[in-house]
Amino acid sequence: MTTTVCGRCKSSGAVTDYQGRQDGAVVWTILRCATCNFSWRDSEPARAIDPAARSADFAVDAGDLQRYPKILQQ
Amino acid sequence: MNDLPNRARSISSLRDFLELLEDSGQAITWSDPVMPEPGVRNIAVAASRDANGAPAIVFDNITGYPGKRLAVGVHGSWDNIALLLGRPKGTTIRELFFEIAGRWGDQEAQISYVPEAQAPVHECRLEQDINLYDILPVYRINEYDGGFYIGKASVASRDPLDPDNFGKQNVGIYRLQIQGPDSFTLMTIPAHDMGRQILAAEREKVPLKIAVMLGNHPGLAVFAATPIGYEESEYSYASAMMGAPIRLTKSGNGIDILADSEIVIEAELQLGERELEGPFGEFPGSYSGVRKAPIFKVTAVSHRRDPIFENIYIGRGWTEHDTLIGLHTSAPIYAQLRQSFPEVTAVNALYQHGLTGIISVKNRMAGFAKTVALRALSTPHGVMYLKNLIMVDADVDPFDLNQVMWALSTRTRADDVIVLPNMPAVPIDPSAVVPGKGHRLIIDATSYLPPDPVGEAHLVTPPTGDEIDALSKRIREMQLGALS
Repeated sequence: MTTTVCGRCKSSGAVTDYQGRQDGAVVWTILRCATCNFSWRDSEPARAIDPAARSADFAVDAGDLQRYPKILQQ
Repeated sequence: MNDLPNRARSISSLRDFLELLEDSGQAITWSDPVMPEPGVRNIAVAASRDANGAPAIVFDNITGYPGKRLAVGVHGSWDNIALLLGRPKGTTIRELFFEIAGRWGDQEAQISYVPEAQAPVHECRLEQDINLYDILPVYRINEYDGGFYIGKASVASRDPLDPDNFGKQNVGIYRLQIQGPDSFTLMTIPAHDMGRQILAAEREKVPLKIAVMLGNHPGLAVFAATPIGYEESEYSYASAMMGAPIRLTKSGNGIDILADSEIVIEAELQLGERELEGPFGEFPGSYSGVRKAPIFKVTAVSHRRDPIFENIYIGRGWTEHDTLIGLHTSAPIYAQLRQSFPEVTAVNALYQHGLTGIISVKNRMAGFAKTVALRALSTPHGVMYLKNLIMVDADVDPFDLNQVMWALSTRTRADDVIVLPNMPAVPIDPSAVVPGKGHRLIIDATSYLPPDPVGEAHLVTPPTGDEIDALSKRIREMQLGALS
């Protein structure tokens, strides 16, 4: 069962963008977090997509998205 | 294969080049099943360990992407670059450098236009229900990238304030993060042409349309990645540097594009909107941060039948990024320095896009190399990128690090090191004091001239020249012969 919890910011409610098929059967699903835009494939190694196994260095703080700078300002 | 220069000039597409590479043992097809992650990354990284001889790899059996093809490492070795330049495998980096430097201003551009209906890139066209994931066999390039990146896109755009001016069209390499089925963010900074165009479009509230070309004439990626004057066309420049014609056509949204590219994504800037993107494993070998970047909406996609998606591995070096842009980062600095100082004999800016550069110069007077170093910092590329400069004599080959280390060991005094604090810096340089601001280092490893009291040492002069080259080759042949 594909989780829709984001491995990066732990928000729920990711959307499905694509499903890869092999001989007609779905072999993986690409999801995208509606909060932090992290995109992932559910077949990736756990250390990239599982919040429990993923390095905290690469977490995104869903409660403070204002901290991330905006590029190209007038 | 005796006619490599003509064969190189006859290349008009990625497919032509892959054929040339395959004929030369420089392209392989990976037909074993491979998972997008981590399989594709692992294979791309393993190949790029061999900077001299790595082949391009074409994947045609990626799990979940039946029938789709992906190429990596097309520019991933010096041998592949040599073949692109019409030179044989085994050509030295120094020879390739002078091959490119010698082409500077040497040729006229040859641009021709192909009617859209006859352009291979428009063989297949999608204008609705677009899902980029359905077209591109993407994969996570580095483990903690924020999403699926298109790392080797040549993005063409017209100046939003002067859309009819051919020269002000911009073609540059940018990296794109796919943001759902029909959107992507594009990373740029105000100093890049694309950054200027985005800011201009948003200020004047006029549309900015772009065409993202994937799987292109291999000369474009080499020659469009380097800063040239804003009003010079990258197409004309690439054609002149290749000494070969370039075929253009129009994209559906009215931009000049390569007629023989594999895939073209047409898109429009969403004025004023920014979306979270990143991080991405960048060329310094570290991740960029998470930022809010401009977002584009895809309006149409054209592609050849059975298109090949070309991508690149970028990360901690050595990678394809270094062979792709290294020589053509070095050659303009060389040409610009020689306008002022003909004593400059070679420039090696291969390392991390020139974050470290090595310049060979014949000292005109005591301390002259330092003057040349300061001039290098004011070249267009030097302003942001040349962070560490090592100055060596003209008798030292800057592409031979053993020779460079000899010069450092024997010709550097600790007070011949200059630190220039708080200078402009590349924002993604991880050593910067703050992003965009850092220190510069100049190491003068050249010899001493009067009035310096030491003077030049009495140097050993080992034999060099054709005779030694021939002996070296014979020894190698005898060594190989001993195995058979």
